Amino acid sequence: MIKSKIFFSFIAIEIIVIAFLYTDANHTIAARNAEVQSKRELVRKLSLTDFAVFTEARYTRHPSQADTFSAFQDFPSSMDHFPAGSIVGPQRGNN
Amino acid sequence: MILHPGALALITGAVLCFSMTAYAVVLALKIIWHWDISSSSELQLALERRTYLISTVMNYVMGFEILSLFLYVYTLDSIHVLFVGAMCATGSLNANPIGWYVLYTRIAIFFLSATWIAINYLDGQAEDYPLVKLKYKFLLFIAPMIFLDGYLEIKYFAGLKPDVITSCCGSLFSDESKKVAGSLAGLPIKPMMYVFYCAAATLAALSALSMKVKASIVKYLTSFASILFFPIAIASTISFISIYYYELPTHHCPFDILQGTYNYVGYPLFVSLFGGSFFPVASGVAELFGSVPSLREPVGKAQKRWYVVSIILIAIFVGFSSWPIVFSGFTPF
Amino acid sequence: MFIYSIIVATLTSLLFLTQSLKKEAMDVFIEAPELIVQRMSAGRHDLIPVGYAEKILSIPGVSSVEPRYWGYYYDNLTGGNYTLIARNIDALHMVKGTLPKGPGECAIGKGVADVRLTDLNDVLFLSINPQQKVSLKVVGIFTADSAILTNDLVVMDKNDLVNFFALPKDMATDLIVHVSNASEVPTIAMKIRRDYPDTRPITRSEIVRTYENVFNWRGGMALTMFIGPLLAFAIFAWDKATGMSAGERQEIGILKAIGWETTDVLKLKFWEGMAISLTSFLTGSILAYIHVFYFGAALFAPVLKGWSVLFPPFNPIPYIDLYQIFVIFFLTVIPYLASTIIPSWKAAVTDPDTVMRS
Repeated sequence: MIKSKIFFSFIAIEIIVIAFLYTDANHTIAARNAEVQSKRELVRKLSLTDFAVFTEARYTRHPSQADTFSAFQDFPSSMDHFPAGSIVGPQRGNN
Repeated sequence: MILHPGALALITGAVLCFSMTAYAVVLALKIIWHWDISSSSELQLALERRTYLISTVMNYVMGFEILSLFLYVYTLDSIHVLFVGAMCATGSLNANPIGWYVLYTRIAIFFLSATWIAINYLDGQAEDYPLVKLKYKFLLFIAPMIFLDGYLEIKYFAGLKPDVITSCCGSLFSDESKKVAGSLAGLPIKPMMYVFYCAAATLAALSALSMKVKASIVKYLTSFASILFFPIAIASTISFISIYYYELPTHHCPFDILQGTYNYVGYPLFVSLFGGSFFPVASGVAELFGSVPSLREPVGKAQKRWYVVSIILIAIFVGFSSWPIVFSGFTPF
Repeated sequence: MFIYSIIVATLTSLLFLTQSLKKEAMDVFIEAPELIVQRMSAGRHDLIPVGYAEKILSIPGVSSVEPRYWGYYYDNLTGGNYTLIARNIDALHMVKGTLPKGPGECAIGKGVADVRLTDLNDVLFLSINPQQKVSLKVVGIFTADSAILTNDLVVMDKNDLVNFFALPKDMATDLIVHVSNASEVPTIAMKIRRDYPDTRPITRSEIVRTYENVFNWRGGMALTMFIGPLLAFAIFAWDKATGMSAGERQEIGILKAIGWETTDVLKLKFWEGMAISLTSFLTGSILAYIHVFYFGAALFAPVLKGWSVLFPPFNPIPYIDLYQIFVIFFLTVIPYLASTIIPSWKAAVTDPDTVMRS
């Protein structure tokens, strides 16, 4: 009996925590809406196209603007030697 | 090939179901060959124990398949962004038409494996396992479906190429389309509503009648009615239920209602539809075995319960589909 | 159970992070240029003659065309790569100070300001070689919460940038095409390619899709790497479930002796598995939420960072999607349940007397 009580109270606590986190998430989303709006303004006015996350190579800095065979872009059969290249997948453009 | 987390989860699930079913089939074959209830040999005892394992495995497989049906539709919905012109799950399915077959096989597997579980349940109620050989032969019939389904699913995800221009649901489920889906959407709304409500009422009435009347024919009729009801309900969803939810007379897509914008209303809608049309079928199947002496009592009991559940589920389904018709100000005609 | 929670937490963190960035990209890049036209030369992105703009402007549906000047600058001093952009705009919310009004001024991202230890009104000196150099007065710094977009930016005047990069006259990096009706973008893109076969038009929807793809790929890649650990975990669960302690064995023996059926024991085992899964799943999700949204995915940062010198701090917005939770459930709970079936069946069919006697 005692074990089941521990289990249920544990689950109950976790559900309360999750409910709290959920409201917290909604709250944060609402609170940061203004931030998203100003980011949109930023993108529009500066005509940005990409996140400034991986700055090490040009195809990771601007994945959406990169050549279609970016992994070999520096010379034929040049290996992709940037660590971020392993997490920014290859892009398939229309051309 | 796309490496989407949802696709990976589905492939993992498919591989698991695949191997579990394969294992169950091997055990089932052994049982079909060697089963002899009157024997008290070591082998028979081991086999009887094995039946529990198979039942458990199949229950799990069935559970996984149901979950993966939902996950599949959900994933389709979420990957549509990758395809030019796709606006919902329909677009993702059109990007690689194999996807449609996965959807069909999965729905078929749902009904088949649910039937299997029903038979298994009845069999467990009787002392002498009268249905053992039959249910394992039935399992051998379901297994290839599961293999096919897993294979098609992997093929679907492997064959997806982002950026393929797909037609969106607006053009597939629109009145001008020449395909079946288009003709479903083009069905006139008013007559379709009559058909739908008549079908639902008939099914509920027949289920109620089956609880009272002993005659097998009524029960078979009910099963038949529910088999008819399923496509009618799907057609109604495409033809008028969806447009009431979207409040757009031209938008007929049956997948969009699964999206958060419509409060995930599609889930209770489809769950109640699948459940509601399955239970009368199960009762009809059970009726086939009503003549087996050791099964007479459990069959009767189970049928009664199943009919009640089915009536409730159909009521829920009709309730959910009528809700916007009654309460929204939207009038397409 | 602890391991179980950790596995769930890792996978969930990953999906939370990618989902959040993906959602943000979708939200933000719907304001990206409708159409960008690059020129390709020898399969590489090359400078585009500004003269192309006239013919593009004559395509029906195009409302305006403007050249865009930007480029990369490798900073010897810090080893960082900056992105230099020339734009003349009036004001922005997310900038401390003002934007460059004319030659000799610039606005820089927080990351650049930090590595160069520059503040407002300081001078930023950039040089490629003795001929190509420029010193700019920092008139604005982008705020930290915009870092994900602006971390490595240096916004300056067009003339400064053209001189600094020594761009040939009448050449731009690419062209932005404004289209009045968004649904005409693909047709216009096609027409541009027909008129100028050496160009590559990039539509806004492609940019958004790229991000969807990049983050899916990233999430998927990491999950694929996690298949190994997941398998190990399944084996672990199997092993754990097989190696029941003598006490547990006896428990089942007693239950069976007092009349429990094999199916009842199997049900019990199923609920036991569900209880363990539920607890670990909830714990894991909570841990993941805290890790990603309170600590900015601190544990993943080194991996994501790679060799980037300028790396924006993550402060993801908690967009939670039920779908992510469902996917994680599928990837963890289901393999767990599957790998415990056979062991629990073995436990359930044991004879009561063999167990009790041993």
